[in-house]
Amino acid sequence: MKWFPSFGFQRRKRELQEEIDAHLQMAIADRVARGETAETARQEAAREFGNIPLVQDVTRDMWGQAWLEQLGRDVRYALRQLRKSPGFSITATAMLAVAICANSTVFSWIDGTMLRPIPGARDTGDLVSLQRGEWNFSPTPPFSYLDYRDLREQNHTFAGILAYHHDWITLTGGAQPERAYISNVSANYFDVLGIKPVLGRFFLPEEESRPVPNVVLSYSLWKTRYAEDPAIVGKSIEIARHPVTVIGVAPEGVVGAMPGIREDLWVTLDPLGTDVWRMTHRSGGAVWLNVIGRLRPGVSRGQAAQDLDTVMHNIVAAFPDDHLGDNRITLDPMWRSPFGANGYMAATLPILLAFAAVVLLLTCANVATLTLVRFVSRRRELAIRQSLGANRIQLVRQMVLEGVVLSIVAGAVALVLTSWTSKTFAWFFPANSNPLILNGSMDHKVVIGIAVSSLLVGMLCGALPAWRSSHAPAVEVLKAESASISGGSRNRKLLSGLVVAQIALSLPLLLCSGLFLRTLRNLAGANPGFEQDHILTATVGLNIAGYSHNEEQVIRHKILDRVSALPGVKVASLTDWIPMALSHKGEDAYPEGYVPHPHESLKVAHAEVSPRYFESLHIPVLEGREFTPDDDEKAPRVLIVDQTAARRYWPGQDPLGKELRVWGRLFTVVGVVRNSTHTFVNESPEPMVYMSFFQAGYETMVQVETEGNPVDLAPAVQNAIHEIDTRLPVFDVRSMRESTQMASSFAVIQSTLAGMFALIGLVLAITGIYGVVAYRTQLRTHEIGIRMALGASRVDVLRLVLLQGFWLTGIGLALGLVFALGLTRIIVRLLYGIGANDPVTVVSVVMLLGAMSLLACYLPAHRAMRRNPVTAIREL
Amino acid sequence: MNERGQYKNRIELLQGTLDMLILQTLQWGPQHGYGIVQALRLRSGDVLQVETGSLYPALHRLERQSWVQSEWKQSESKQKARYYRITAKGKKQLASDLGRWERIVEAIGSVVYVKPEESES
Repeated sequence: MKWFPSFGFQRRKRELQEEIDAHLQMAIADRVARGETAETARQEAAREFGNIPLVQDVTRDMWGQAWLEQLGRDVRYALRQLRKSPGFSITATAMLAVAICANSTVFSWIDGTMLRPIPGARDTGDLVSLQRGEWNFSPTPPFSYLDYRDLREQNHTFAGILAYHHDWITLTGGAQPERAYISNVSANYFDVLGIKPVLGRFFLPEEESRPVPNVVLSYSLWKTRYAEDPAIVGKSIEIARHPVTVIGVAPEGVVGAMPGIREDLWVTLDPLGTDVWRMTHRSGGAVWLNVIGRLRPGVSRGQAAQDLDTVMHNIVAAFPDDHLGDNRITLDPMWRSPFGANGYMAATLPILLAFAAVVLLLTCANVATLTLVRFVSRRRELAIRQSLGANRIQLVRQMVLEGVVLSIVAGAVALVLTSWTSKTFAWFFPANSNPLILNGSMDHKVVIGIAVSSLLVGMLCGALPAWRSSHAPAVEVLKAESASISGGSRNRKLLSGLVVAQIALSLPLLLCSGLFLRTLRNLAGANPGFEQDHILTATVGLNIAGYSHNEEQVIRHKILDRVSALPGVKVASLTDWIPMALSHKGEDAYPEGYVPHPHESLKVAHAEVSPRYFESLHIPVLEGREFTPDDDEKAPRVLIVDQTAARRYWPGQDPLGKELRVWGRLFTVVGVVRNSTHTFVNESPEPMVYMSFFQAGYETMVQVETEGNPVDLAPAVQNAIHEIDTRLPVFDVRSMRESTQMASSFAVIQSTLAGMFALIGLVLAITGIYGVVAYRTQLRTHEIGIRMALGASRVDVLRLVLLQGFWLTGIGLALGLVFALGLTRIIVRLLYGIGANDPVTVVSVVMLLGAMSLLACYLPAHRAMRRNPVTAIREL
Repeated sequence: MNERGQYKNRIELLQGTLDMLILQTLQWGPQHGYGIVQALRLRSGDVLQVETGSLYPALHRLERQSWVQSEWKQSESKQKARYYRITAKGKKQLASDLGRWERIVEAIGSVVYVKPEESES
C-alpha cells in the first residue's frame, strides 16, 4: 500500500544506496590493492562501514521527509489494528459520526441564518440594524423617512445608512395576479450592502424620493417569470396594475436586507408619487422604515450608537410633537437583528449548539472508555514492543493515530450526513404568510468545523487512554500478566472517571429536554384566549391589486356578504391581522390630555377588525359593545381595548367613553374585551387596541367560523371571492390552527433537538456504564470464583458487582445535578409554565437515569452470580 | 539504548567539529564520502576515525544547508561516485567555525596550562 506519492523521495533513496555502494567498492579496491584477498576485503570493508540500513535510516532523517514515511507507516499500522477489531471500529466511528453530525447540523443552521444574514452583501459584520425606543423582540419599523434622512446626513460614524420597507404586492399583467414580496428602498440600498447589478443599474440618488416608476428584479423572479430575458432592462412590467420600468436585475442569491425573509423586487420609496404624505411627515403612519447602517472602519457599535443618539436628540428637540415616547437608539449586529428572523435564531440556536457540544464530549468519554479497554487488553503487545526498543512517544503517537483515523472516518461520514441534515431546518416552519427562506447551509465554514472537531475528538479519544496505557512499566506487565486486574489501579480510576463523566454529562441533557418537552406540552395546552378550531382565514390582496379606495370598500362589503351566506359558515368577519402568526403591528397611543414623561414609551399593539370578529373568535366583550356595521368612515372613530390597555390607561376607572389619541387622531373607547395572546403564548402582556375595520383597515383578511373542518370550506370561500372579481388575488387560505403553529415552531425545534440529544446521551451513558462494569466483572471472574468457593453467597457476589456500579452512578448523578442546575439557568427564557429547577422533572430525570444505569449494572452482576465457581476459578 | 541512539549521540557530540572537518577537507577540492574518511584519517595520523553513520548524515545535512553541493562523477579508478564540493556559503561557515574553534582551543588552553605557582596551594 502506498500512501504518499513521493517520487523525489524514492529517487534520493536510490541515490543514497548507490552512494554507499560506491563507498564500499572503493574501500574494497583499496584493500585489494594493499594485498588482501577479494573475500576478506569485502568482509572487512562491510565491517568497517557498519550497519548499512541504519546509516541509510539516520541519513534519511536529515532529509526532513522522514516524518512523512513514518506517518505512512503509522497510519498503516493503525488501520491494521482497527481492522483487527471491526466491532470496536464500527461502533466508535458510528458514535463519533452521530455526535459530530449533531454539532455540524446545528452549526450549519447557524451558518445559514445568523452568519449569513444578508446573502450576497459584502462584510455583513460591519452592518448594524437600528432600533428606536424600547428594545423589542418583534419590533415594527422604527423610522420615518425624514428622521432617517437626518440620521444619514448628520452622523459621523457610518459609511452609509440604508432604509427599506418590506411589503407584498401583486404582479399583474399575466393571466392571474401573482403575489410578490417587494421593498421600498432608499437609493443607496444596494451600495450600502455592497451589491452590483448583473444587468442594468440600481437606483440613483436623485430618484430616491421622486416619483420614478423604476423597479429592480431579483434574479429568481427574472428567471422564473421573465425567462431570463437578456433584454429585460428598459421593458415595462405591471405591478398592481401600474406600469413600471425594469432598470436592473440583482445578482443570484440576493434576497434583500431582512434576514431570513425573501424580497422579489425593489422600488424606490415613493415610485408612483402616491405617498407624499408619508415622505413629508415624521410620526404616525409615516414611521415605516427599517434602517441598516454600515459602520465606518474602526468605529465600534457603542461609538456609533452614541453618535446617532446625539443626532436623534437634536431631531427630537426640533420636532418634539412627532417624537413622543422613547427615542433612544440601539444597534444590533445583523446576526441578532430583531428585524427578520435572526432575533429568534439567536435566542434558540446557540443553546442547541451548546447541547450538541455536550453530546460530543459525552461521546468522547464513551469512545475513550472503549479505547482504554482495548489498550489494556493489548498491554502485552505494547509491553513487548516497548521492550524491543520502541520509545514511549512512538507508542503514544501510534495509539493517538488510531483515534485520529477513527475520527477522520467519522468526520467524513458526518460530512455526508450533514449535507442532508443541514437542509432539514426548513421542515420546522409550517406554511405561513411570511416568505421565510430559513435553512442551513453547507459551506466551507461547516466543513472546517467538522474537520476541526473531528481532529480534536480524535486526539481526545486517543490521547488520554494512550498516555495512560504507555505508562505501564513493560517488565511488570510481562511478568505479572495474570495478577494485574483491569490493567492496574490507574487505569481503573480513569475508567471510573470516564463513566462518571458520561453520567454527569447526560443528566443535564435529559433535564433540559424534559423541561423543553413539558414547555411544549404547556404551550399546546395553554389557552390563548381565542378560538383556534373551526376558524378559516384567507387573505385577499385587495390593497395591492390596484383598486381605488371606494372600490375596495365596496368589494369588502361584498366579500363579507357572500362568504356569510355560504353553507357551513357560522360567522364571517374581516380583519387585517392574524394572532400568533409572528406578525405584529404597533403604534404609540396617548389618552387625551395625558402628558407622557420624556422617553416614556406608550406602545400598543393594534388590529383592525370588523363586526362579529370577537364573536367568531369567542373573545368575550366584558364591557360596552362590539363594532357594528355603522362604525364606518362617516361615523366617529371608535376603538375597543383589551383588559391590559384599560388597566394601563385608566386604572380603577371605567374606560368606556374615554378617548385615546392614535396617529394624531382621537378615538373613543366603546368596549372592553378580554385579553388574548398576540404573538407567543409566553409573551408578557402587552396592551392591545382594536379599531373598526371599515374605519382604519389596511389589508383584507377574511375570517370564518365554520361548522365542520375549516379546511373543507377553503374552496367555497375562494370561489365566493372570485365570483366578485376573478382577478382578486386570494392567498394564505388556511385554518387558524395551522397559522398559530408558527408561534410554537421554535419550541418544537428546541424540544425535538434537545430530545434527540438527550436520547443519544442516555444511550451512551447506559452503554458506557454497562461496558465498564461488565468488563471489570469479567476480569474479576477468577476472584469471584474464589470468593464463592470460600463460601460467598450469590447475593454477596451480586452486591459486590452492583455496589461499584452504584457508586459510579451516585457520583455521576451528584456531579450531573450540579452541572444541570447550572445549565438550566440559560434556558429559563425559553421555558413556559415550568420553573428551570422544576422538582418533578428533576426527580424523574434523576430516577430514570439512576434506574437505567443500575439496570445496566445488574446484567453483568447477574451473569457473575450465576457462574459456576469451579469454571470461574479455572478461567484466567 | 539501541544502536540507532548511539549513532545519534555521537553525531550530536561531534556535530560542530565534524562539519568543520568535512568543510576543511573539501577546501582542497571536491571529494566523495570514502575520500573524506581516508583524507581525515591520513591527515590526523590515524587518530580521527569518522564513522560512516555520522559522515553521511552530516554530508546530507550540509547539503541541505547549501554549504556543500554534490554531483555524480567518475573517480580516477573509473568508479562512479558522488562528489561533494564546498560552496561560497560553506566557506563562510568554515571561516566562522574555525574562528570559533580557535577561541575554544585558546580558552581551554589558558584554563588547562595555568602555571602551578600562581595558585595558593
